[in-house]
Amino acid sequence: METRTLFTGSESTKNIQCDLRKLAESITQIVQGIKQAQEPLTESRKTVPQATEQLERVSRQTEDAAHRVLDMVEAITGREGTIDAQLKELRRALPATYFRNNSKVKRIIEQVRSCAESNQNDAYAIMDALQFQDITTQQIAHAIHMLEMVETRLHDVLMDLDGADRSEEREGSKRKLAFDPNASFSTDANRQNSIDELVDNMNRERGKK
Amino acid sequence: MPELKILAVDDSPTMRRIIVNTLKRAGFNDVAEASDGKDALAKMKVDRYDFIITDWNMPEMDGLAFVTQMRNSDEFRELPVLMVTTRSVKEDIIEAMKAGVNNYIVKPFTPETLSEKIGQVLKSVGKG
Repeated sequence: METRTLFTGSESTKNIQCDLRKLAESITQIVQGIKQAQEPLTESRKTVPQATEQLERVSRQTEDAAHRVLDMVEAITGREGTIDAQLKELRRALPATYFRNNSKVKRIIEQVRSCAESNQNDAYAIMDALQFQDITTQQIAHAIHMLEMVETRLHDVLMDLDGADRSEEREGSKRKLAFDPNASFSTDANRQNSIDELVDNMNRERGKK
Repeated sequence: MPELKILAVDDSPTMRRIIVNTLKRAGFNDVAEASDGKDALAKMKVDRYDFIITDWNMPEMDGLAFVTQMRNSDEFRELPVLMVTTRSVKEDIIEAMKAGVNNYIVKPFTPETLSEKIGQVLKSVGKG
C-alpha cells in the first residue's frame, strides 16, 4: 500500500511538473503575445507627436502666408491714398477747359480713380477672406487635441501591459490649446441674423430689469 | 463715430491684424492689441480703453472668464464689450450674454457687421 502511494506520488509529481511546464510555455507565449501587441501600440504612440508636429507646422505656415498676404494688402490699400492725392494734384494742374463738356481727360481721371477704388475694395475682400486662417487653425488644434487623447489612452494601455507606475510624467499634452471644436468657415448671413435676433431679445430683457 | 480707444483681444495674430485693419478702415485709428484675457487685463490696468472687442477661445484666460472678471470689477463693470468668435451655438451665445457681453459677432465677420455692432453697442450704452 505504502509502495503504491509512493508510486502514485511520484506519478503525481511528474504530472504536476508536466502541467507546470505547459503552464510556463503558455505564459511564455502570452508574454510574447503581449510583447507583439505592445510593438504596434508603442509604434502608434510614437507617431502621434510626429503627426501633431506636422499639424502645428501647417498652422504656422498658413499663419506666415496669411501675414505675407496682409503685408501686400496693406501696401495696396496704402497706395490708394497716394493715387487719390496724385489725381487731385493732376486736376489742379490742368486748365479748367480740360474738364468742360465731359472731356476725355476728365473721363480718364475718373476711370483711374474708379479702378483704384476697385483695387482697394478687392484688397480688403482678400483681407476679410484671410479669417479662414484663424478658423482652420482652430480646426487643426481640435485635431491635435484628439490625437493627444489617443496618445494618452495608448500610454495607459501600455502602462497596464507593463505593470509600470502610471504616475510617471507623460510626454505631450503640454501645450495649452484653445479652440472651438465646431469652428467653421461659413459665410451664411443667416447665421449672424439668428444671433442678432437672440442677442436683441436678451438685451431687451436685460433693459427691462 | 466718436474717437474711441479700442482694445482688440484675440490669440490669433492674423485675426488681430484683420480686426485692427478693419477698424482703421471704419475710422477707428486708436486700437491696441492683447493676446488673451490675462494680457488684456494687464494692459487695461496701465491704459484706459473705451471699448473691448474680444474672442472667446484663448489660452491662459478665455473671453468668457475675461468678461466675467471685468463685470465683477468696479473699474470695468460698465465697459462696452463686443465678442467676436467662431462659437455660434445658441447656448454659447446665451452664456456670453449672461456673462456680460453687450453684443456678439460670429467669425468670419464682414466689416459692415463689425461697424454696425460697434455703433449699436455705443448707442445702447449712451455713447453713440
